[in-house]
Amino acid sequence: MFFELLAGNLIQGVFLGAVYGMATMGLSLIFGVLKVVNVGHGAFIMVGAFITLALFDGLGISPILAIPAAFGVGLALGLFFYYTVIQRLIKAPELATLLATFSIGILLEEVIKLVFGSEFRGYNWVVGKIDLGITVVPMSKLYAGVGSVVIAVLLYLWFNRTRAGSAMRSVVEDSEGARVCGVNVGAAYAWSFALGIGLTVASGVLLTMFIPVGINPYMGGGYTLKAFVIAVLGGLASPYGAFFGGLVFGLIENGSYTLFALLPGVEPFALTRFLSFMILLVILLIRPTGLLRGK
Amino acid sequence: MLDVKDLESGYGPMQVLWKPSLTVKKGNITSLLGPNGVGKSTLLETVFGSVPPWGGQVLYNGVDVTRVPTHKKVDMGLALVPEGKHLFPSMTVYENLAMGAYPKKAMPHREKNMQLVYALFPRLKERSEQAAGSLSGGEQQMVTISRALMTQPQLIMLDEPSQGLAPLLVREVFETIVKMKTDIGLTVLLIEQNADASLNSADYVYIMHEGTIKAEGTPEEIKGSSEIREAYLGI
Repeated sequence: MFFELLAGNLIQGVFLGAVYGMATMGLSLIFGVLKVVNVGHGAFIMVGAFITLALFDGLGISPILAIPAAFGVGLALGLFFYYTVIQRLIKAPELATLLATFSIGILLEEVIKLVFGSEFRGYNWVVGKIDLGITVVPMSKLYAGVGSVVIAVLLYLWFNRTRAGSAMRSVVEDSEGARVCGVNVGAAYAWSFALGIGLTVASGVLLTMFIPVGINPYMGGGYTLKAFVIAVLGGLASPYGAFFGGLVFGLIENGSYTLFALLPGVEPFALTRFLSFMILLVILLIRPTGLLRGK
Repeated sequence: MLDVKDLESGYGPMQVLWKPSLTVKKGNITSLLGPNGVGKSTLLETVFGSVPPWGGQVLYNGVDVTRVPTHKKVDMGLALVPEGKHLFPSMTVYENLAMGAYPKKAMPHREKNMQLVYALFPRLKERSEQAAGSLSGGEQQMVTISRALMTQPQLIMLDEPSQGLAPLLVREVFETIVKMKTDIGLTVLLIEQNADASLNSADYVYIMHEGTIKAEGTPEEIKGSSEIREAYLGI
């Protein structure tokens, strides 16, 4: 009975982990290219969640279609914030970009609060369940997990098979070298930031497909923290590292949830958070460059 | 082919270039000599566009390119071999060279240029699947030069290509630079501290000091003038 429960939770953990991974790729991409830590990361996830909610509740549009819509909004937001804020701060000390992205996060939260109010919301997307024998997985979670994998694969192909992708990779490796090869480095920075934000906002859709409740303007904070743990697991500057970091994190979170639930008098969900940050601390102590790819 | 007129630039409040002017003739190797810290690299970077110009003019084939963005200059056939190599360390040698063919006009010539640089540096062919970061300093310099050749340039600017190399490799680099002129038909602007080697391979020489051009002439004229040699080159 216990092992069935654990196996079931781990299967769901794979789906959750894929979504977590996808939700961290934008953070790693932006850090990898621009060396900017987007502290407002979770707020962009929250924007994605509200796009899903507005489209679904307001217009009856399926969350699956909300993914490209959120990606488009994210690209636009990314370009807007890059040219108005980030571009001026690239060469500034790190504290400046930390404060700037933190402020962008607060700005987004307050704008969303102004429009949608601050109460907790949710939506009810009924698409059935699938019985995997050991566990029953709602189709929405399955879509979210598979969608995340598809997006990660697309991103990989785009990076490695397209001219624009190769330009971005070269900027990550050496921006001066990229300039010498005729890459428009300024444009590569702008589009990397936009792509990172686009992925993050789109991940907000996938996260609500997994957890369609608790949508509110301040939901992003927890995701920012999780994304940092995952990014560090994956080596911070690599989007694919982040994806695998997410898988590991999803498994740890769901696996430990099952284990903690066995302890009497313990609220297991609170302890999973404790565990994730313990993991972050331990990794930072023993391998400060990340687990998967250390540089 | 390249005319620099009264160029001014610098970093922050510090002016480095004080109106140097020079001309690079098509099909020539033009060398810019001078000790460290006189603004030679800054001159190349300002011409290339990595450092924004404050004043003056850069003409390329008679066209004013002073404020043309760097990537467009690369499209126009201007290439730079930067000081400090700036390779893509985790990419293979082949991938580094392929990145050199990034400009749209260089892409159709990718395989042909690849054969050309492998002929110039046979060792790179042996190392083509190795990560660029794992190569020796000399091999990395070969990749840097090759990557610039892959952009299908007309004018190639080299920033101290012999710096930090063993004497044997220095000779190889200079032989390659002469081959670029004679075999490939490129125009070369070469920055060097190594006065002897440059004087032997260049067609025309400028001497730079304190951010401006102090003397110019053919290598024979420079060698023949003990004043210039003693004042600026220390030989």
